[in-house]
Amino acid sequence: MSFAERMLKIDRRIIFLVIGLCTLFPLLYPVGLPIKISPEVRGVYDYIESLPEGSVFLLSLDFDPASKPELYPQSISLLRHAFRKNLRVIAMTLWVSGTGMADQVITQVAREMGKESGKDYVFLGWSPGGSAVIINMGQDLYGAFPADYNGKPTKGLPVLQGITNLRDVNYAVSLGAGNPGVEAWYVFGKDKYKFELGGGCTGVMAPGLYPLLRSGQINGLIGGLRGAAEYETLIGQKGRAIAGMDAQSATHLAIIVLVIMCNLFYFSLRKQAKQQGHSGA
Amino acid sequence: MPVETIIGAWVATGLTLFIFSFLYKDNPLFKLAENLYVGVSVGYTIVKTYDTVIVHLIWKPIVENGEWALLIPVAIGTLMLTRYVPKAAWLSRYAFAFIVGVGSGLAIPRVISSYILKQIEDTVRPLMVMVPGEGLTFTMNLLNPASSLNTIIILIGVSSVLFYFFFSVEHTGPGKAVARTGILFLMIAFGAAFGYTVMARMSLLIGRLTDLIEFTDPSYGRPSLWLLGLTILTLVVMGRRRPQGEPPEPH
Repeated sequence: MSFAERMLKIDRRIIFLVIGLCTLFPLLYPVGLPIKISPEVRGVYDYIESLPEGSVFLLSLDFDPASKPELYPQSISLLRHAFRKNLRVIAMTLWVSGTGMADQVITQVAREMGKESGKDYVFLGWSPGGSAVIINMGQDLYGAFPADYNGKPTKGLPVLQGITNLRDVNYAVSLGAGNPGVEAWYVFGKDKYKFELGGGCTGVMAPGLYPLLRSGQINGLIGGLRGAAEYETLIGQKGRAIAGMDAQSATHLAIIVLVIMCNLFYFSLRKQAKQQGHSGA
Repeated sequence: MPVETIIGAWVATGLTLFIFSFLYKDNPLFKLAENLYVGVSVGYTIVKTYDTVIVHLIWKPIVENGEWALLIPVAIGTLMLTRYVPKAAWLSRYAFAFIVGVGSGLAIPRVISSYILKQIEDTVRPLMVMVPGEGLTFTMNLLNPASSLNTIIILIGVSSVLFYFFFSVEHTGPGKAVARTGILFLMIAFGAAFGYTVMARMSLLIGRLTDLIEFTDPSYGRPSLWLLGLTILTLVVMGRRRPQGEPPEPH
């Protein structure tokens, strides 16, 4: 068996080990590679930055713990930015399995920034219906969420003063890991109720959302852990996303090297087979 | 540190390592973690749905606030359950008809507007733009998504990919060249999507490893180290206790 053949039949657990080590070492010994800000992430940041104090910012945390590593850092950065700008934050989720985690992230960041539930922000929790909830909120916010996550009636909450439906929202961002998510917020929300919309998503979903970005249907897109790292850089608060970028670069490099090596071995084997075929004939 | 945080760290570490053990080979620890994940997810969803829908959106408004109109959607929803009674199953069709009718009515106009009209509008852009003082200009900047050059690329891409999926005409002669161009665009799109998928999966690995590193801290009781040892030990013991009659693994 030639070297190329042996390499192509290598135990896949060795490849897992290589990828694992390429991820682990940069996490233990970070290098601090520079992070370039993309225009799509800057789009979300700039819009929040342009909002005057007291504007209404809606954050829909449409993901569950399975997408936590990518979307949790995004939600922390967005909430920190919104609270720093003294915006009125309305948080909610369209994913029942993400309710507890969404409550955890908003409570944690609000405590860190000294914000009060009901006065500076409200977590509405989850309501059944998926995309229909967005339409319901567009008609009557209090009909869709009669009470917040803690059971307090939403009518009369200081943070919701002057808000009756989605038309009163200045900016909404959906952090989506699937459906319902960013697309549902555009189709059933922005397109009908005319508020500005930004998006955050997992890396898997990002290519599918770029057409919406280019056409101006969303004004910015935070894609995956990379997008979260860019946002952390923009707000000047290093978090988990920036810490993971070295590891991300190292694993990508390892994968590129493996792909090149596999192709080289494959073509060398094909060449050998052709030569053997000629000599046999 | 609160006890519940420490317990949470031990449970999270253990389940992460048990799931990762599948990379070595299938084993009962992986099965345990997998079944726990499914069970806990379903249990959590059922409890949250019951609490939100039955208790807060139906029972309390009807009993405490006298919102009797809610009985109408409750009745329509209950008709769904008649599927389990063969003689009354026909009643469920009314509920399905209501859902399909309302759902289609709400979704079709919105989807046409968002995905078809808006996307066509964005695809068919003017090739040259009027700039005040400069007249008609053709921009060549590849990095600007709205440049004239990118507009041409998008137009060629969309047209050629649509032609590739047009099977009524044989792809020969000039048609073959157009279809090949379509394949090229598709391959680039698949490559970009796959690259993002790899990035996403690596991000998940980074997330779990970040937690495992954090849980090596003595304040948590170093669950990562203890449970890593336990997982490896279990795999070794289980590897040695091969059931009778099972042939040894090939090397």
